[in-house]
Amino acid sequence: MLATDLMIPAVADIRGTSITYYDSRDEKDRDDVLVMVHGTSGSTKTHFGFLFPILAAKQRVVSIDWSQPDRDGERLELDQLVDQVAGAIEVILPGRKVVLLGYSLGAVVTAALAARRPDLVERLVLVAGWMKTDLQQILRNDVWQALRASGDDAIRSYSTFCAFGGPFLGSKTLADLQPAMDAMAFDAFGDQQMELNRRIDIVEEVHRISVPTLVIGCTHDQMVPIRHQKALFGAIEDARFAEIPTGHAVVFERPSELTHHIQRFLDEPEAFTAGSIVPTPQP
Amino acid sequence: MTDQTVQHVKTLIVGSGFAGLGLAIRLKRRGDGDFAIIERAHDVGGTWRDNTYPGAACDVPSHLYSFSFRPNPDWSSVFSPGPEIQQYLRDAAREEGLLPHVHFGADMLDASWDDNAARWTVTTSAGTFTSTYLVTGTGHLADEAFPAIEGLEDFPGAKFHSARWDHSVPLDGKRIGVVGTGASAIQIVPELAKIASELVVFQRTPAYIIPRAERAYTEGEKRLFRRDPSAITELRSELFWGGENTYAQRRAVPQFLEAGKKMALDHLAAQVPDPELRAKLTPDYEPGCKRVLISNAFYPALQAEVTTLEASALRRVEGSTVVAASGAEYDLDVLVFATGFEATEPPYAALVHGRDGVNLSDHWKSGMQAYDSVAVAGFPNLFSINGPNTSLGHNSIVYIIESQVEYILGAFDYAAEHGIEVIEPTREAEEAYVDKLQADAQGTVWIDGGCKSWYVDQRSGKLTLIWPDFGFAFRDKNGTFSPDGYQTRIAPQALPQPAGV
Ligand SMILES: Cc1cc2nc3c(=O)[nH]c(=O)nc-3n(C[C@H](O)[C@H](O)[C@H](O)COP(=O)(O)OP(=O)(O)OC[C@H]3O[C@@H](n4cnc5c(N)ncnc54)[C@H](O)[C@@H]3O)c2cc1C
Repeated sequence: MLATDLMIPAVADIRGTSITYYDSRDEKDRDDVLVMVHGTSGSTKTHFGFLFPILAAKQRVVSIDWSQPDRDGERLELDQLVDQVAGAIEVILPGRKVVLLGYSLGAVVTAALAARRPDLVERLVLVAGWMKTDLQQILRNDVWQALRASGDDAIRSYSTFCAFGGPFLGSKTLADLQPAMDAMAFDAFGDQQMELNRRIDIVEEVHRISVPTLVIGCTHDQMVPIRHQKALFGAIEDARFAEIPTGHAVVFERPSELTHHIQRFLDEPEAFTAGSIVPTPQP
Repeated sequence: MTDQTVQHVKTLIVGSGFAGLGLAIRLKRRGDGDFAIIERAHDVGGTWRDNTYPGAACDVPSHLYSFSFRPNPDWSSVFSPGPEIQQYLRDAAREEGLLPHVHFGADMLDASWDDNAARWTVTTSAGTFTSTYLVTGTGHLADEAFPAIEGLEDFPGAKFHSARWDHSVPLDGKRIGVVGTGASAIQIVPELAKIASELVVFQRTPAYIIPRAERAYTEGEKRLFRRDPSAITELRSELFWGGENTYAQRRAVPQFLEAGKKMALDHLAAQVPDPELRAKLTPDYEPGCKRVLISNAFYPALQAEVTTLEASALRRVEGSTVVAASGAEYDLDVLVFATGFEATEPPYAALVHGRDGVNLSDHWKSGMQAYDSVAVAGFPNLFSINGPNTSLGHNSIVYIIESQVEYILGAFDYAAEHGIEVIEPTREAEEAYVDKLQADAQGTVWIDGGCKSWYVDQRSGKLTLIWPDFGFAFRDKNGTFSPDGYQTRIAPQALPQPAGV
C-alpha cells in the first residue's frame, strides 16, 4: 500500500474568517510541531507541495492558508494576517508552542507573530523574508502593478523572470516552465497582498524576537534580495543564517536543499550557535 | 609476494573501486601510508573495469558521479562512457600514488578476527595480511547473478554476463538473445541492434524509462571548468540537489509520483506508437520501486527491424533453441545475460569471521545490516563502505562513499586519540539503528511500490540495500563519526603503567 495523500484540507473558523489548513496529525514520537505559512498569492498546495509531505514524514506538520478578510476593496493589513495565523495556532494546537516557518510574505507574518506572541512560538524559520520594503522592491512592485492594471499577459513572463534565479532559468527551456506560467492566477486578494508588500516595516518588532531562529536567504533572489535576509540575521539576537544558491522560488528550484537546512534545525537546533553562518553543503 | 610472507598494515582495504580508492586517497593525502589494498582482479576500477559492454555509461551525471576531491574538467559529456570513467579511476590511483599499495590478483579467501592480538588476519590468493582495521569496498554490484536455466550448459553458442563481456566473440550478423531489461540491458540493446541479424530481448518486468538529458560538453565549457574550478563546484551542487529533488517521488508523495510516472509514460508514448508493444512495456508498479532508467535509445532499438521483445522470462534451453516462459522459441547464436548482481547476499560476507569465529553471512542470514550503515556488532575494527543500507535510488553513490570515508577516518582518529585498539558497535545500538531505518522506510516506493526488487531482502522483507531517505540525510546522520553506540577496548600499552615499573 502506498503512502496516503497527506494534503487533505481542513477548515477552521478564526474569529469569523474561515481559513483552510492542513494537518498531518501523526506526531511520529516527537514533541515539536511545525507550523508553516506560505507567501504572497500562494497556498500550502502551491508553495509547500514538496515541503509539507516531506517534513511530515518525520513529525507533525500543520500548514495554514491565510484567507481574504471579509472586507472587499479595503487595504489588507499585516495585522490581519498575523491574527489569522495566531488564531489558527490557538484553535488547531491549543496550549502548544510551535516551530513556526514562514516563506516570503509568510516570513514577514511569522516574524511579526514571533515578536508579538512569544507564548506561541518555540523556534522560528524565516525563508526569503524581509522586514522593511526598499526601493528595489517598490520599483519591481510598480512594474508588476502596471502590468496587472493593463491586463498584459507579459505579467506571466515578468513574474517568472523575477521569481526564479538566473542560473535556474538558464538551465531550463520555455516548455519546462510554460505549464507553471499558464497556471498563474491573479485575483483581488493577490492584488491586496502585492499592495501590502509595498508597506512592510517591522524593523522594531523583529529586534524583539528572542526565540532561536534560522534565517534562510537565496543568492539569486530578485524579489527579496539576500541583503534583506542578512538584515534579519543581524536584527534577531538568536539567529543563524543559511544561504541557498537559488532565486526567490527556492521552494521549486531546490526544495531538497531547503529541506536539508530546515530538517537540521528541527533535529538539532543547537547544532549552530546564535550568530553562526551555516556552511553551504559541498556535495 | 609469496605465500609465506605475512604483511602487517594498519588498514587493509578490500577492493579498488570508487570505495577502496576513495578511502585510500584520503589516507594518503593526510600522510597515512600504512595501508594496503587487495584486489582480486588485475586493474583498479571495480564496476568500471568489469563492465566493458558496448554502450556502458553512468546514469548519474559525470560531474557528480566522481570524487568531489578530484574534479575532472574534461568529462566529455553529461553521462560519460564507461571507458572514460575507468580511465578517471586509473588516473586517480596512479596520480595519488596508490599503485604501490595495491596487491592485484589478491582474492580475499578468508578474514578472521583475532581478539587477543586485536587484529584481522586476511588470507588471499596472493599471500596473507594482518591489519588493525579491515575496510571492505567490495561493492554490491560486483558479483554477477545468473538465473538457473534448464539446459543452459548445452547451449552450443557463446554465452556471457554483461559484466564479463567476452570481446572475443564476434557479434556482427549474429542471432543474439539479451536476457533482462535492467540498467545494463537498456544500454546494451541499442548497440546490439546495430549489428545483430536478429535480436531477442527477454523481459520479465518492464522498467520505467525517462528521457536522458545527454549532450557533449563544448570545448568552451571544458576550458571554463579548467579556468574556474568554482564552475564545477556549482554544477555539482546543481546536479546533486536536482537529484535530491526527485526523492519526493521515492517518498511516494502522490503529486510527484504522478509527475514521475507521467514523464516516463509520455516518453514511452512518444517513442512507441504501436499500442501492443507499448502495453508490454508499461509497468504495473510504482516508479522507483525498481530503479527508474534513463534512455533515449532503448525504445527505438526495440522497434528496429531485427529486434523482438519477448515479454516473458527465459525459461529453458534446448540446444540452440531458446524457449521463453510464454512458449515462444528462438534459435540463437549468442546469449547475453544482463541479469544483474548478487546484491542482497554479498559473497564477501561468507569469507568474514568476527568475534568467536562468527561468520558474517550467518550473522546476516535474515538480511544484512550495520550500525550507521558501516559497522557490525561482533565484528570489531571492521568497516564496510557501500554495504548495507547505502544505495540510493535517486542520486550518486559516490556521495555516500565519501560520507562513509569521512566517518571511518573519524573513527580512526578517535581510536588513536584515546589509545583504543578494539572498537565495535553494541548490538543494542545496531538494532535500534536498523529498527528506526526500517520504520522510516515505510511509505516509500521501495517497500510499498508493488514490485519485487533487489532492494528488498526476499528472506525477511527488509529493505537492506537502500538508504530510504535523502542522500543529504545519510551524510547528516552517518557522515561524521561519533563514539555513541560503540564499545571500545583500550590498548594495554596505552593504559597508565603502575608506579615504580
Ligand atoms: C553498469 C553499471 C553502471 C552503474 N552506474 C552507476 C551510476 O551511474 N551512478 C551510481 O551511483 N552508481 C552506478 N553503478 C553502481 C556502481 O556499482 C557504484 O557506483 C560504484 O562503482 C561502486 O563502487 P565500489 O567501489 O563500492 O564497488 P565496485 O566498483 O564493485 O568495486 C569492488 C571491488 O572489490 C573487488 N572485490 C570484491 N570482492 C573481492 C574479494 N573477495 N577479494 C578481493 N577483491 C574483491 C572487486 O574486484 C572490485 O574491484 C553502476 C553499476 C553498474 C554495474
